[in-house]
Amino acid sequence: MPKIEASLSDLLSLAGLSDPSRLRELLEPLKGELDGIEGDTVKIELNDTNRPDLWTVEGVARGIRCRLRGAEKHLARMEDRGRELLVRPGLEGVRPFISCFVCRDLSLDDRGLAALVNAQEKLCATLGRGRRAAAAGIYRLSDISFPVCYRPADPETVFHPLGAEREMTLADTLRSTETGLLYAGILEGAPVFPFLEDARGKPLSFPPVLNSEGTGRVTPGDRDLFCEVTGTDRHTVALMAAIFACALEDRGAVIERVTVRYPDGEAVPCPTVFADTLTVPLERITRTIGLDLRACDLPELLSGMDYSSVTVDDRTVTAVMPPYRRDGIHPADLVEDIAIAYGFNRIDPLLPGDYTLGSPSPESRLGAAVKLLLVGAGCEEILRPVLTSPGKVSLQTLTPDPPVLISNPMTAEYSAVSNTVLPSLLEVESVSGHAAFPHRLFTLGEVLRRDRGRLRTLWSLGLIASGAGMDFGAVHSLLGVLAYGRGLELTLESVDDPRFIPGRSASVFLGGKRAGIVGELHPLVLEAWGIPVPVSAFEVDLEPIGG
Amino acid sequence: MSDTHLHPLEIALLRWLVQHPGCNDAECIAGTGLDEGSYRRAAQWLLARGYARIAGSRTAVRVIPGPVGEENLRLGTTPELALLERVLQGASTLQEVQEDPRFQKGRWGSALGAATKEGVIQGGALDLRVGDGTGGVFRELWEQVYEPLGRDDRVMLEDLPARIADLVSARAPKRGRSGAEFLLEERTENTLAVTPEGERALASVGDVNALGALTREILASGEWRNAVFRGYRVDIPPARIPTGRLHPYGAFLDEVREKFVSMGFREMTGPLAESECWDNDALFMPQFHAARDIHDAYFLEEGARVDPPEPALVERVAEVHRHGGDTGGRGWGYDFSVPRTMQAVLRSQGTALSARTLASGPDIPGKYFGIAKCFRYDQVDATHLPDFFQVEGIVLGEEINFRHLLGLLKLFAQEIAGAESYRCVPAYFPFTEPSVELHVKHSVLGWFEMGGAGLFREEVTLPLGVRVPVIAWGLGLDRMALLAMGLSDIRDLVTPDLARLRQMAVKPDWLPGRKA
Repeated sequence: MPKIEASLSDLLSLAGLSDPSRLRELLEPLKGELDGIEGDTVKIELNDTNRPDLWTVEGVARGIRCRLRGAEKHLARMEDRGRELLVRPGLEGVRPFISCFVCRDLSLDDRGLAALVNAQEKLCATLGRGRRAAAAGIYRLSDISFPVCYRPADPETVFHPLGAEREMTLADTLRSTETGLLYAGILEGAPVFPFLEDARGKPLSFPPVLNSEGTGRVTPGDRDLFCEVTGTDRHTVALMAAIFACALEDRGAVIERVTVRYPDGEAVPCPTVFADTLTVPLERITRTIGLDLRACDLPELLSGMDYSSVTVDDRTVTAVMPPYRRDGIHPADLVEDIAIAYGFNRIDPLLPGDYTLGSPSPESRLGAAVKLLLVGAGCEEILRPVLTSPGKVSLQTLTPDPPVLISNPMTAEYSAVSNTVLPSLLEVESVSGHAAFPHRLFTLGEVLRRDRGRLRTLWSLGLIASGAGMDFGAVHSLLGVLAYGRGLELTLESVDDPRFIPGRSASVFLGGKRAGIVGELHPLVLEAWGIPVPVSAFEVDLEPIGG
Repeated sequence: MSDTHLHPLEIALLRWLVQHPGCNDAECIAGTGLDEGSYRRAAQWLLARGYARIAGSRTAVRVIPGPVGEENLRLGTTPELALLERVLQGASTLQEVQEDPRFQKGRWGSALGAATKEGVIQGGALDLRVGDGTGGVFRELWEQVYEPLGRDDRVMLEDLPARIADLVSARAPKRGRSGAEFLLEERTENTLAVTPEGERALASVGDVNALGALTREILASGEWRNAVFRGYRVDIPPARIPTGRLHPYGAFLDEVREKFVSMGFREMTGPLAESECWDNDALFMPQFHAARDIHDAYFLEEGARVDPPEPALVERVAEVHRHGGDTGGRGWGYDFSVPRTMQAVLRSQGTALSARTLASGPDIPGKYFGIAKCFRYDQVDATHLPDFFQVEGIVLGEEINFRHLLGLLKLFAQEIAGAESYRCVPAYFPFTEPSVELHVKHSVLGWFEMGGAGLFREEVTLPLGVRVPVIAWGLGLDRMALLAMGLSDIRDLVTPDLARLRQMAVKPDWLPGRKA
């Protein structure tokens, strides 16, 4: 879940609150949780992974403002002063899309600038998928002559990266600056690099890596900015630009249009002002929420969720989402916003009236019967994780079949899925020498096995016995407890298996079905586990015990 | 009056104490010849009767061989002494010594480190020379610790010379018992003194020929008719006997299962290895969603195949991701990859079971639950296990709506958590709309997030062939399981330590019951 850290005083002043006492409650409709306040730092977790507009302090403050005072107008009157950005051919396979705008009369103090940089970092990392799908840059407007040019550049093109001591080539920027190394992967294999320069050929930046030292250094007090977002995904680029524009507008800036001209002649006025419209039948609202809300003033209700344009007729409600939101992909999304606006705590809970019969699964019922038999025979149940290591299964236990491996394990200790439960039981024995004997330990667990080219999940019952008298005969008798308790015929057939002492292991058949194996563990296995006492064991599938 | 209550063990101990005042536990055990368990029982009884009192006590630390120490005892030597012996015999490099199979290479190596530090061996791994040829502290360790341990004698840390005691302590790690040379067991050593009542009781013993155990012969002979039975102490703790037991966490989960069955839910099951289709795609989780990348889910080895979902179903799922299908929505609008639906992953959410159930022609109306083993890409620590159980389910019906969802969550809060109060707050899950989080106030745990729920989106239900509203819910019960078992570290739910496991109470009935 995205988490943000912001200045508390900044948040309160943007939200129009005098103190943080209602923050927790006001964050709820935004699906936000207050993680804590320390000094002037507030930490908030935003649970909606589809609402990047909320991952900025401006977005959170706006949500609170609308809740308290109703919807606002966003990007409603943008002037177009004829500024253009020209996209040159050649970036199609590299980083083809760009959106941009001009922002004037901004009064940014240190706090505001810090928030802007935070928002930029957060959105580039999350929405922008680590700057690949989209990344933003801001520049001092006064240094820039229009039209700005977004063009492919030779990797040997020279520019002065922001914060570097000297000029260098783009290729060197990727190799020798900290930021370059971090994002070089995005441009790996690209024959040309994206490059942004102004009408006079003054470099602006090397997107998505670094701004240039000349125009790309923004400081508190800069009132006029040029902002751009480049990326590989058109929708993400446009959405990120819209979110930034709204955030800057919230801080008092005036946003002005820039027209982006693509090589194919397409001209896109930017930033894009989204106006996703959702229509839902009133009957559908009643059916989903379970309340008749026709009597409610839906436009008034939705105003608290920043819907500024809502129309209701006899049968439907139609609402236009604010331009920073693109998460309304189904009428149900509007229904949810109505329910949130109405307030979950105002809705009376009701139990489903339909009568249904409950039942445990067949595996659970059989498992319970089997456990009861073994507990009655003095055995103790063990529960262990399913994840294991190939070392435990193959090298230490000498299991003939290798376990299924995880292709991206986090640690070697949990890099395979158990195909047998015996290693888990032996691991218990290896650290339980101090627990009074005898040990009769069993576990009933899911395992993953290969079966005719497919993976299959089975329930497996394993038992180990150690201590005085716990030899082959003892575990054979415990198998007998299961067989006689379930009314099944038990037969053993001698078999060789590396886990067991030759001549002391057998295949187990229950009711004529092959069920598993029983034997006295080989000293090699005991030695590998560091177990100083003899151990006998069986492992059978649960299914044949069902008869 | 004569005391007919005294047990033979008590008599033996009383006699010894009267004749040997000032003896501590160890000396009493040695002197009476009783085994430790019998001695402790007898002492406890005498104290309870007031026939003896504790005249003094001190905390003493007993040295017990660990797994490594046991191995040394079996071999009759320690790696340090064996190393010295090999060097005395002419070995001059560590590599030469390591060919000796008695110890693993690593243990020879650490022995060289220790022996060099104590000046027993000089030079280095490539030039081994004899320093203190007597073996120094390692010889003393053998004679004063290993030899008595080999005879099953008690070795107390306090009785050892300081440098030996330090060495023993250093080799008795508090963690990782499996690799320990020694284990230290702290216990209180008491000195018992006989009270005047005890002396009187002892004096009266032997006056009467009281009967102990009643036997078949005594019954047959009729000897009991003229005999007096020695009375038993009934107010002493029982001896612990080994029994079969269910695992406390398993029993807790069984109780949870019973709760849901009692509320009319049918149990669902499904495979550990899932296709991406069931784990994510069918749940309308977009393929670019962060929870689906390699840092959040476990992918299975190259070539691992799971049963593929039906192609027509995959096509319907793909269509809702791309353009919303026939749901009335516009979908996520991206280039959905069909081959990716076949990728084998370890089930990352129990909701996969719900998707399977919806696709398999469920009962309408119907209620389903599952206790599903799930896998998350997390570092294992006090709050994360490599695999864990999620309790998940669905409720379907023509008339089901958001109020029923709230009603169900209220039921869970009361029935499962016994919550004092609860709150439902807006939440986000890719597969439900509206979505809710359930926060409950528990009498011990305070406020905590107990689970999430919502109405499945039509992008989930329609491709699976379900045309009625479906409530989906999931609960996290680990914190309640820990509380029921008196634990604070989630790893202890699946501890491999049998002794610890045996100390945990099995109290599944801890879950709140329905109040009459």
